Amino acid sequence: MRNDSGFYGEFGGQFVPETLIPALDRLEESFREFCADRKSLAELKELFEKYAGRPTPVYHAKNISKKYGMNIYLKREDLLHTGAHKINNTIGQALLARRMGKKRIIAETGAGQHGVASATAAASLGFACTVYMGKTDADRQLLNVKKMKFLGSEVNIVDSGMGTLKDAVSAALKDWVASFNTTHYLIGSAVGPHPFPEIVAYFQSVIGTESRAQFGEMGMPPDVVVACVGGGSNAIGIFQGFLDSDARIIGVEAGGRSLNSGDNSATLSLGRKGVFQGSLSYLLENGSLQVEEVHSVSAGLDYPGVGPQHSYLKDSGRVEYRYAFDAQALAACRELTRMEGIIPALESSHALAYVFENSGEFAGKNVLVNLSGRGDKDFEIIDRHLLEDK
Amino acid sequence: MRGVYLMGGYPDEKKFREACDCAVSSGFDFIEIGIPFNDPLADGPVITAAAYASLAGGATPESIVTGIETLRGTAGLYVMTYSNIIYGYGPGRFSERLSGVINGVILADLPNRMSGVLRGMGLEIPIVPFATLETRPSDLDAINKSASDIVYFVGLRGITGADARIFTDELIGKVDMIKKGSDKKIILGFGIKTGEDASRALEICDGFVVGTEAVRRQGDASRLGDYLSSLVS
Repeated sequence: MRNDSGFYGEFGGQFVPETLIPALDRLEESFREFCADRKSLAELKELFEKYAGRPTPVYHAKNISKKYGMNIYLKREDLLHTGAHKINNTIGQALLARRMGKKRIIAETGAGQHGVASATAAASLGFACTVYMGKTDADRQLLNVKKMKFLGSEVNIVDSGMGTLKDAVSAALKDWVASFNTTHYLIGSAVGPHPFPEIVAYFQSVIGTESRAQFGEMGMPPDVVVACVGGGSNAIGIFQGFLDSDARIIGVEAGGRSLNSGDNSATLSLGRKGVFQGSLSYLLENGSLQVEEVHSVSAGLDYPGVGPQHSYLKDSGRVEYRYAFDAQALAACRELTRMEGIIPALESSHALAYVFENSGEFAGKNVLVNLSGRGDKDFEIIDRHLLEDK
Repeated sequence: MRGVYLMGGYPDEKKFREACDCAVSSGFDFIEIGIPFNDPLADGPVITAAAYASLAGGATPESIVTGIETLRGTAGLYVMTYSNIIYGYGPGRFSERLSGVINGVILADLPNRMSGVLRGMGLEIPIVPFATLETRPSDLDAINKSASDIVYFVGLRGITGADARIFTDELIGKVDMIKKGSDKKIILGFGIKTGEDASRALEICDGFVVGTEAVRRQGDASRLGDYLSSLVS
């Protein structure tokens, strides 16, 4: 997909201050060495299996399958250590950081899952760690803030802008411009300047590779693969296993409260092309070329940009990008909880919601949904929205 | 060469214009005009707040471009902003409006190796290349290829307004390397605050640009004038 300058078609690139260019070059060089080093790959595999809990199962969710008239399979990334797919990438990048001789890790976080996964990898591999988190997100994901601190990380609350993921990324980049000689920026989504989207996609590709093999063992391919898309790391992870298959692939963004500007985070569905936080990609911006304030009930999808690979996959037509509204995601969260005894993260609930709401399209099909995380962290929001109408 | 960065449309159109006039009457050679962007990765709190205030006051890329046209001929002029503004405005359209009015564009998130992307989309105005404390001999080629007659030297690792001692041996060595490898005028930015900094910058480089400390005083032309005069001695 990618050319030598870090572009996927017209998307991607390195739109960051010049000061960071040698650090990005060094990172790319280290990443190439890592990928070619059998010992490093063996260590990654060992940590995936013994520390994170891979492989995760593909579970045939029979009750909802019956209700909706299709076979719904869940890739259970929610079962991983720290509760989401984010740990795949943080372990991988922490190994890279060690290889580069860095002493400190910084990370941004929206829902707090990447922050917790970074703090976890840092604790385990012996790095100092600072996590940037928007104030709005910190307020709605308090448990994760406490976890990060307990794991020994410093949590820097970012009060600028809307206090969400965009502001956290911006603050982390500002830290990195001053600290890159000693610090690795462990970016959590498939966004940012090259080579970050490629690195994150690489470490998350284990989701797709495993799923493909698991369906192979079952002797049937999935007809449809569905994942939620904020920045797009869990989605690019699972999609990579099926891009060369016949499966229909669908990414589901946050439709938020409505399709009016400022009410959603449906970047690929409603955005224009723009340059944001390191790469050229689709972007939600206003008529004056300013980044739009965005909304989603789920802190992990609340982001005005999207990874460049997704923009490329959208324009190439290989992947369809749709959206699910807040209320639909909340309803899907309750549905899976009540019918299967699995509480999904509100992010992953968007993928489920799209499948449930459009079940007619999928009648009789084998549908694989990436259950990217568990919903424990969302309990205050779930409480607030769902308990009154139980 | 003495330069000052001023945020377009801040605190309003009229006061921005007064600030530009003030820069000229204080003996400054060029003005870098900021077009505000609400995700300013390279800017510290003072310039970020000015960008937000300018936008809240109704400034748009269009209104600032229009304002710049009226400054034609007053001083050397540069636009300093972020890639998304030029990309979204249309690099070709931007060139049509400001070719011959400004000397170049400085894009804080457009490293030298990416400049071809916007040029390929029709940006005909010279893109000012950057040098940094990290610049390697192999980077000189990209600097020299630029059509700009200046190179913008980012004097510290960090964002605008950061507190750091800039005149280090490291900086002096790096400036020397660039002087030997390029005939572009070296303008030192990021970290110039006092008259002493300004004099030192003029000894080491071909010029300097002051940003944060000017923007801090941008709403009051007399304070700005006093400050800028203190940098011209």
